[in-house]
Amino acid sequence: MNDVRRVAGVAPDAPPAIEVTDVVCQFGRIRALAGISLRVMPGMVVGIVGPNGAGKTTLIDVICGLVRPSRGTVRVLGHAVAGNTSALRASIGVLPQETALYDEVTAWQNLRFSAALYGVAHADRRIAEVLELVGLSERARDVVRGFSGGMQRRVAIARALLHNPALLILDEPTVGVDVETRHQIWAHIRSLKTEGRTVVLTTNYLDEAEALCDRVAILRAGTLVAEDTPAALTARTGRCLELECWSEHATKLSVALQQHPGVLRAETVDFGLRVYVGIETNPEDIVGAARKLCPVEGFRTRSPDLVEVFRALTAGSQP
Amino acid sequence: MTASPWALFRASVTLEATTLRGNRAFVILTAVAAVSFLVMVSLFGLTGSYAPVAVINNDGGPLADRLIEALDAAHHSFALKFMPLADAEAALLSGRLVGILTIPEGFSRDVAAGKTVPIDIRIDNVNIDLTHDVQRALPAAIVKFGRDQKFPGATARMVEHDVMREDPGYIPYLVVSALALDAMVIAGILGAMATAREWERRTVKLLRLSPASPGILLAGKLTVAGTVAAVALGLALLVIVFVYRVVPIAPWSTVFALLACVVIFTSLGAWLGVVLKRTLAAVPLLFGLAMPLYIDSGALEPTRFDGEAIWMAAHLSPVYYAVGVLEWAFGAGRDLHPGGRVDPRTAGEGRVSMSRDRGDAL
Repeated sequence: MNDVRRVAGVAPDAPPAIEVTDVVCQFGRIRALAGISLRVMPGMVVGIVGPNGAGKTTLIDVICGLVRPSRGTVRVLGHAVAGNTSALRASIGVLPQETALYDEVTAWQNLRFSAALYGVAHADRRIAEVLELVGLSERARDVVRGFSGGMQRRVAIARALLHNPALLILDEPTVGVDVETRHQIWAHIRSLKTEGRTVVLTTNYLDEAEALCDRVAILRAGTLVAEDTPAALTARTGRCLELECWSEHATKLSVALQQHPGVLRAETVDFGLRVYVGIETNPEDIVGAARKLCPVEGFRTRSPDLVEVFRALTAGSQP
Repeated sequence: MTASPWALFRASVTLEATTLRGNRAFVILTAVAAVSFLVMVSLFGLTGSYAPVAVINNDGGPLADRLIEALDAAHHSFALKFMPLADAEAALLSGRLVGILTIPEGFSRDVAAGKTVPIDIRIDNVNIDLTHDVQRALPAAIVKFGRDQKFPGATARMVEHDVMREDPGYIPYLVVSALALDAMVIAGILGAMATAREWERRTVKLLRLSPASPGILLAGKLTVAGTVAAVALGLALLVIVFVYRVVPIAPWSTVFALLACVVIFTSLGAWLGVVLKRTLAAVPLLFGLAMPLYIDSGALEPTRFDGEAIWMAAHLSPVYYAVGVLEWAFGAGRDLHPGGRVDPRTAGEGRVSMSRDRGDAL
């Protein structure tokens, strides 16, 4: 069981916002989820990352009660999802992967309909608030069809927030939007975190997970490869040491250094060689060993980013 | 937070109505479609009627004129045209005439003398249906001619007892049943669109994720779809009453029958929309189903005369019952319940009696 640590302001005995235990989802011959266990504590922002087809959306659908798992249990906000979906749905706000707006009507009318779905009290006031939050107050009365992809995404986020849910699930919130809109959406998600709301987001973008999430769960082919804080995941991958050398030397160096006890992995790059070393290994020892084999013009060390972590963790885990 | 059922219903109605307002062209075309089906069945009824036939009168005598009058009155298949033979032949070959009927020189003299006179007719048999029409019409015209001229000989007299008080015209008869076709296509398409578009827009996921009752949401959407269909059918009904001059003998039954059609076919369309999840699949399927079910319902004649299997299949379709009820309400057709409306004393008593040497009737 991957247990997400507690956050400040959350009662120590508070039940997990989400508790997924040994969930298997089998669709005919396809196993979309293969025994996933995951806990998300209240008030945290948790990212679920993985390539297309990894099972992210299926996991979200299981959590929302849209898909019944073939095996395993799911509890959300302290209640079992099975057989309790109607009450639970009122406590969950979901931004589906597809923006799913009624594009023939205005942003306000979309939100008015959603308010009716959830029985939101003082709907007009609340709609004005969420539109203000996503910066679309001026466009409230415009037909959604005329909006850019980013604006439509913001309307959808406003809709997910409308009924003030305790748990917010964002399925690829920034897919298909431009860089500026992406950063605006990030800002909204950070503000949700500040409010102490539990947020689960799926994303293909590792920088997004790194920028927003307290914890990151890495999925590949329906299995949970790793789940930890971004820093811990980075530490697990080791430090990144970049060596500048001629390319003809880099290949030979790569083979030689992979035999070195402190080296986790090495790969040739355009400027020379990138070496991942264990956190306890002194990079200068590696540089010294390399210089014995060939000329090294320069070197630098840095922490690996989440992309590198992801590549390291998912390499060879293809079923 | 729980949505009240009424507020939810109202929200669903408002959203669907606003969505349709955003698609005005579609709504207008739907209303036009209701009338276009009436036009379609009218054109079907007209097909083969008044086929232009050239008459070449080489006789010019009084009996030739009487024969032409008999031809004109005997069957609606003939629209007689008078023109020179060369023009008629050119028209026949170019498809602008279906036949050339030639009355030979000396026709009046020979008929008066009791001789048998051959009447030549050349037929464009591009379609056997037209050929059959002419083959039926010409003997009928000759019989009428003989009866009018009081020729002696073996005679047959038809004694007709009608089921209906008046003879309904074929086109007025068809347009009544076309309302059922209208209902299936229009209400069905609107119902299918109301549901299938939720999948196309992906908003169905939003609805499934909400705690709202799907039944109330669906009721709201279908209320709007049904209302639009009812308005379109109302327009078609007005056209039938004021343009075709076909007035229902049971107006309330007509209205209730149409409303029942709207409810049934909107629901059927909604179900198809849910199953197929695409309007592009549901709409052609509804069109594709509507025409065969309409024809199979016996809309073109009192009942189907072409086999029990086809007739029984008709009973499985709501179109059959819709056509039956509407024809009953307009007083123009068969009954769904034998003996319910048709007078058993006169029904089926049309007969032909034969008598010999009766000069006053043929």
